[in-house]
Amino acid sequence: MKKIISTLSLIIFHFSLCMAQVGAPYIHDPSTIAECDGKYYTFGTGGGGLISEDGWSWHGGAERPGGGAAPDVLKIGARYLIIYGATGGGLGGGHNGRILTMWNKTLDPKSADFKYSKAIEVASSDGMEDCDAIDPCLLLDPTTGRLWTTYGTYFGNIRLIELDPETGGRMKGNKEKDIAIDCEATDLIWRDGWYYLLGTHGTCCDGVNSTYNIVVGRSRNVEGPYIDNVGRDMLHGGGRMVIAAGNRVCGPGHYGRTVIDEGVEVMSCHFEADLERSGRSVLGIRPLLWNKGWPEAGDPFREGSYAIISERRGYSLELAVDFVRMQQERQAFWRINPDEPVKPIPNQKLDEVRETWPKGNIAVRCSDYMFRPHQRWTIMPVAEGGGFLGGPYCKIVIEHTNRALTATESLELTTTEEFTGADEQLWRIEQLTDATYRIMPKRIPGKKELNTTHCLYSSGDSTPTLAPYDFKSDNSKWRFREHH
Amino acid sequence: MRLQTALVVFAIAMTAVAQNPIIHDQFTADPTARVFNNKLYLFPSHDIPAPEGQRQDWFCMADYHVFSSENLTEWTDHGVIVSQENVPWGKPDGYSMWAPDCVYKNGRYFFYFPNVPREGKGFAIGVAIAGQPEGPYTLEKESIKGVGGIDPCVLIDDDGSAYLYWSGMGIRGGQLKDNMTELANGSQMMEGLPEGFKEGPFAFKRDGRYYLTFPWVRKEKGTETLAYAMSDSPMGPWQFKGLIMAEHDNKCWTNHHSLVEFQGQWYLFYHRNYYSPQMDKRRSACIEKVSFNADGTIQEVKQTLRGVGITLATGRIEPDRYSSVSNGVSIDFNDTTATFDGWHVILPQKGSWVKYNDVDFRNISDGYVVVKVKANANTSFTIRDKSEKGSVIAKLTITVEGETGPFRRDMKGQWMTLTVPVDFVPKGITNLCIVCEEAEMCIDWLQFKNRTTYMKPATEVSAKPDEEGFIRRWMLLEPIKQDIRSNVIFTNTWLRQAFAKQYFDGQMTILPKDGQKVKAGNQKLAWHLLDSETYNVRLFRFAEKWGQQTYGSLFWAVTVIDCPEEIQNVRLAAGSNGASMWWLNGEEVLLLEGDRRMVQDDGMSKRLTLKKGRNVLRGAVINGPGLSDMCVRFINEKGIPVTSYSLDITR
Repeated sequence: MKKIISTLSLIIFHFSLCMAQVGAPYIHDPSTIAECDGKYYTFGTGGGGLISEDGWSWHGGAERPGGGAAPDVLKIGARYLIIYGATGGGLGGGHNGRILTMWNKTLDPKSADFKYSKAIEVASSDGMEDCDAIDPCLLLDPTTGRLWTTYGTYFGNIRLIELDPETGGRMKGNKEKDIAIDCEATDLIWRDGWYYLLGTHGTCCDGVNSTYNIVVGRSRNVEGPYIDNVGRDMLHGGGRMVIAAGNRVCGPGHYGRTVIDEGVEVMSCHFEADLERSGRSVLGIRPLLWNKGWPEAGDPFREGSYAIISERRGYSLELAVDFVRMQQERQAFWRINPDEPVKPIPNQKLDEVRETWPKGNIAVRCSDYMFRPHQRWTIMPVAEGGGFLGGPYCKIVIEHTNRALTATESLELTTTEEFTGADEQLWRIEQLTDATYRIMPKRIPGKKELNTTHCLYSSGDSTPTLAPYDFKSDNSKWRFREHH
Repeated sequence: MRLQTALVVFAIAMTAVAQNPIIHDQFTADPTARVFNNKLYLFPSHDIPAPEGQRQDWFCMADYHVFSSENLTEWTDHGVIVSQENVPWGKPDGYSMWAPDCVYKNGRYFFYFPNVPREGKGFAIGVAIAGQPEGPYTLEKESIKGVGGIDPCVLIDDDGSAYLYWSGMGIRGGQLKDNMTELANGSQMMEGLPEGFKEGPFAFKRDGRYYLTFPWVRKEKGTETLAYAMSDSPMGPWQFKGLIMAEHDNKCWTNHHSLVEFQGQWYLFYHRNYYSPQMDKRRSACIEKVSFNADGTIQEVKQTLRGVGITLATGRIEPDRYSSVSNGVSIDFNDTTATFDGWHVILPQKGSWVKYNDVDFRNISDGYVVVKVKANANTSFTIRDKSEKGSVIAKLTITVEGETGPFRRDMKGQWMTLTVPVDFVPKGITNLCIVCEEAEMCIDWLQFKNRTTYMKPATEVSAKPDEEGFIRRWMLLEPIKQDIRSNVIFTNTWLRQAFAKQYFDGQMTILPKDGQKVKAGNQKLAWHLLDSETYNVRLFRFAEKWGQQTYGSLFWAVTVIDCPEEIQNVRLAAGSNGASMWWLNGEEVLLLEGDRRMVQDDGMSKRLTLKKGRNVLRGAVINGPGLSDMCVRFINEKGIPVTSYSLDITR
């Protein structure tokens, strides 16, 4: 075990325990992740931004003119609207901020269509008022089609304005409204009849000592009041924690939400410092969970050995092999002498059962979890396996073996004796908004395109298969249990 | 798209600006101004860029908007009232909706406009009728019979008779029937007018005299002037009197106008191609004042950029629409590809000045000024009262380079807004003069504002906590200077030392009087008894108004909680930006550590007893950079704010 881990740790050094984004994901104030022609983009403070082919490995190369701070980007119709703060933020000493918007048909700097429209001002602060117009966000209200922006920083209030989704300009006659105090890098989102205002509190720009954290309040009305879990208005500093430091990164700030599928959401942010990477500011992508109507960041998936438990029945995924009984000196329970010393019974070991397993492919089933070797799976990212938005593809092998969970062409499952690295042996594991997981093969054998539909699925209590993901059904959902 | 963009920018500005041109988001030619219901209504024609398939170098107009104003400075666009595709007799794609007019008679508004007919040649004139000047207008089925031409104008005489004038091979006129949509007895040529091309008649009556005014080309190959003739009769014959306005100095070929009396002053509305310098068929309405001589003749009017009206100091003042300038001062478009973005003025050297007349300062008391500027080198300028030598209202420095550190930025040639408090507030309505004090600089606009009132000196002897229990009455000491560059130093140990330090005599015992002074180091600081306007006390704003520094400050606050009865088991609930310490009756009850944001009920004391009678609550808030504020209240065991006491430190 130790040997395997140490060998693997060399290969997967980058993933470490917390599986941070790979590549060169160095950014501050990343905009909400936008997709354009199959690639992912996020823009940061200062000008440029990051591009990712797969959502996991990020590199510089995105282009945004205008400099300034903390942009956001939103696709509206066939165009992308980019909003950013041109000045202010105390940079250069003043709080005269300007919020600007501009359009582009594409985010790909290599595209012939890549051309930003002239930036237009939608809000400003005069340096004396209780607001500094930086750090804007965009929300297109799905219930009304209206476009909203919040902006501001610790210098006074966070303000809400309405933009015209046709022009990206300020809605005629719209007046600013104060909706929060003493936070920055706000974002507005809508979910299930609620508007959520996310703001960043704490200290920024102090490396490994930055205490940045993201809090949230919510309202039935986009114009507020935004109230936290104990009834406090964000205008009074209220807010419920969404994400703070942990997993060797600290200072999360500048929230963005991306909905991948029903019940599959991620939040993006930056961490002020990644302690694995010299304390640099890096892009973070975390599962976004919804707990009683409140958003919370999930933890990144940790490599390790787990039971894979169906949400349908609570059975565990296992090899379809003979159940090997463990031996025990049995006593009738009414004859137990309480004074007699007890001794532990060791867990059943792989070597005790391995010989009973057939060679070649072995099918899988689900059954009562008994912490036996055929029920224990080691899950770890595969360095060359690529990734998806927010995570790396993983292999799922029986603990201490290379026997790998494999998708078949007939949309069923098997295990092969050796892990080959083939796409049908690479698994996309995503935590869902209800904290369960979906598990999807990277590709179904015989299919050209990457799999985005089929997941590990309980067709019966005891029978796993591959079937279309359905958030409304517990058949699509799994949990990982770390106990032994 | 460009138009839309400009429109949006205008919508944001939403300020009162009566400079020339007067409408800033679209072209407005041939401006006919009429006064209805004490408001001024503007009926211009609406030049647009020619769509594909239309002559690109010719007039192009597809509809009419109507605008209104109560003060000639703020204009409301009421939108389209008549559009070419809706004119029953007109060519739906004629793009020839030229100069209109609108008059009121017998409860209805009659809008007259030329257009090319669906069939036949030349122009006809049609009528649309509405119950309100803003519309909706109902179009007459047919054009007016017997009228071929353009530029209708209607004069309604004192006896109610209406006369229609228009331009068609010269200027013609004829009386209208009572229905206002038909000629009564045919038409006649207006006699007595000078030779040369004439069009666009505008007739009016003043002091019993009839005036016929018109664009006129006085020279061969010349461009249009505005000229006039007078008569004792609405149908002439006319006696030519001369010019109202000379030719444009920029070769803009047309001019077209109206004259109107509004609130006791006569005005000339005319047009010029301000937003389309390369193409004189896209024009914009302007206004100047007009004066009449005793014999009724009109004094010639000069074009200005400043135009008319009083600009509020709190509006956006555009000095590129100046009243006068020193030698060498020029203006330029902000964006030559988007002319509706307007202009800026360029002051080329030390001593250059631009003057802008008639700015109303009556609404400014505790003011500051915001100016949008750019420069290629560090420079400075002053805003002065009345003239280039006048009292300095504000002095501003433009720093485009010279900062150091990680956030250094090069602002050379970049627009930026500067904000400074006003040193001197002019009285009433005055003229502003902006003077360049160093190197070349540009100004786009400036705007005066009043500071928000965050707290007021207490006037009542006693106060109560607010409904949520927040204590808004405090005796605040002007901030003690602290050399704090970052709040990360606010550890428990550091704070305990900082708050234990003796800054002034009686620090922990004093019950100061309003205005009482203490000596802290070499600072002499006064106490102020204040009532906060908000639940949180904005110490930063207190420092800004009464202190010597806003950042790097230690604030001391004292208040007296006067309880009619003893109140047990309450907690002091405080939030502060940055760290703070609190004492009740001399006992430390709460410390808020670290680099904090102000959050309601952030920290709580242990359970306390407020004794019957006077309890002294004392706090100290320390902050480096950033806004300082605090919110403080008492909460009972059930989490309900305590409000059953009064605050009367002065008693």
